[in-house]
Amino acid sequence: MRRAILLLAPSFTVLIGIFAIPVLLLFVVSFWSVKTFRLQPDFSFAAWQRFFTVYGDLTLYTLAVGLAVGLFCTLLGFVFAYAARFKAGRFGDLLLVATLITLFGGYLVKIYAWKSILGADGLLNQALMGIGLTDQPLAFLIYSRGAVIIALVHFLLPFAILPIYAALRNVSETTIEAARDLGASASQVLTRVIVPQCLSGLFSAFAFCFLLAAGDYVTPMLLGGTSGSMLGQFVLLEFSTNFNWPAGSAMSFGLLFVCLLVIGALAAMGSRLMRRSPGAAS
Amino acid sequence: MIWRFVIAFFLLFMLGPILLVVLFSFGSNALIGFPMGGLTLDWYAKLAHDTGFHSAFWASFIVALATAILATITGTCAALALTKAAPKLVRSALAALSLPVLLPPLVVAIAIVVLFVRGLGLGLGLPVVILGHILVAQPFVILIVMARLARFDQATVDAARDLGASHWQAFRLVTLPQIASALIGAALVSAAISLDDFIIASFTIGGGNTISTFVWGKMRTTLDPSINAIATILLVLTVGLSALALRVSKYKG
Repeated sequence: MRRAILLLAPSFTVLIGIFAIPVLLLFVVSFWSVKTFRLQPDFSFAAWQRFFTVYGDLTLYTLAVGLAVGLFCTLLGFVFAYAARFKAGRFGDLLLVATLITLFGGYLVKIYAWKSILGADGLLNQALMGIGLTDQPLAFLIYSRGAVIIALVHFLLPFAILPIYAALRNVSETTIEAARDLGASASQVLTRVIVPQCLSGLFSAFAFCFLLAAGDYVTPMLLGGTSGSMLGQFVLLEFSTNFNWPAGSAMSFGLLFVCLLVIGALAAMGSRLMRRSPGAAS
Repeated sequence: MIWRFVIAFFLLFMLGPILLVVLFSFGSNALIGFPMGGLTLDWYAKLAHDTGFHSAFWASFIVALATAILATITGTCAALALTKAAPKLVRSALAALSLPVLLPPLVVAIAIVVLFVRGLGLGLGLPVVILGHILVAQPFVILIVMARLARFDQATVDAARDLGASHWQAFRLVTLPQIASALIGAALVSAAISLDDFIIASFTIGGGNTISTFVWGKMRTTLDPSINAIATILLVLTVGLSALALRVSKYKG
């Protein structure tokens, strides 16, 4: 036992010193106040008030983007993982390698790539003008919500594929064959045999993509323009330009709490749905 | 048949943008677009003479190396402790240690800055970047090493202990040689995570650049085509490291 504690000490020292204490301190700072650009210990709700009044709409919009990205990633991730598991045969492993390459393909590199594809003189506009579909560049391709969502889905899709694939690998062929033998149609096999067995994988894929998308600020900064901006950018703004650390802190935690609330609500809804449909018992 | 199109579409969507960047890093035109001009290595040559890129490259190298070594140590220690622990303890310890990966990196980065600047009154710099990277790399090390230890024959260690080896001797002479490939794999993955990180580095570095903050500077100011070349170098490094990691940890068991 003493040996186990000694062995856990290094990693937990890092966890506590570089994560737990800083995050707690950051939370405390959200109740401090700023007077003439100086941070002062205080017990004030001004920063939280600012979050709800000034940034309320932007938070809802940020959540909407996060939900869209989470849903797209989970859906597309399931289709790809399903293909890799059941349809690709011996190429399944190769598809996973492709997934890992995209995973490590570089966060900034990907955003930059989408900027070059969607930009006014980007590839997509060149192609559209080349085949004569439009005679001038379509401006809405970049600097919009759509551009932000596409780039975030591209960035987070591998993170959705991997847990879903891991869950699908545990789905045994015998249960599928049994269902088929008992007369289940292809769609029934999918919705009543396969999906219920990988529900936890689907859910963790969604939760991870949703959280990371909602908390991102680099993608909307480079691809969002004014119509696609997200809360994270303003957290940065409050911290750097405005030097209003309490506001930035309240916004970070506000967003985090709201995201966890959404995930919790979805989890509760999901487990209730599961209990109600008798065919879904695993 | 339809699945072939589905898979082709996915591969195009996932790999296409990345391959474009690589392709255009060898093109003579300043911007991404067709025709891409002649093949050239000019952008790489330009980087070779760029002192800003040199210092960013070395900073990234130091940070990735330190992260790889230190995260592998902290993570392996934890994995060794957790393989023998009760399942309930394992689950909660793993959940706690993975928490930094699940939160938006922006929040983690800002929290670290607040602690070092306001809480401790210390400056920022490469050591802080390294600490931040250890924090996000160690859960991956733990998962990789624990997966290896799950298939590990504990009897060999027991035999060594029965024959009079100390804990340390048994670890160094029996356990370590058997799990070495997994440790190298974990170190390579940690280095790849460190190289790829932009958000934590950009907040905690204070002054100077890593490769990713250097790219960011170029992305924000000018449309400098050498970004394609840096991105390709970064890509080759991270994908190469992780591919090597997969190979190393698969080959020897």
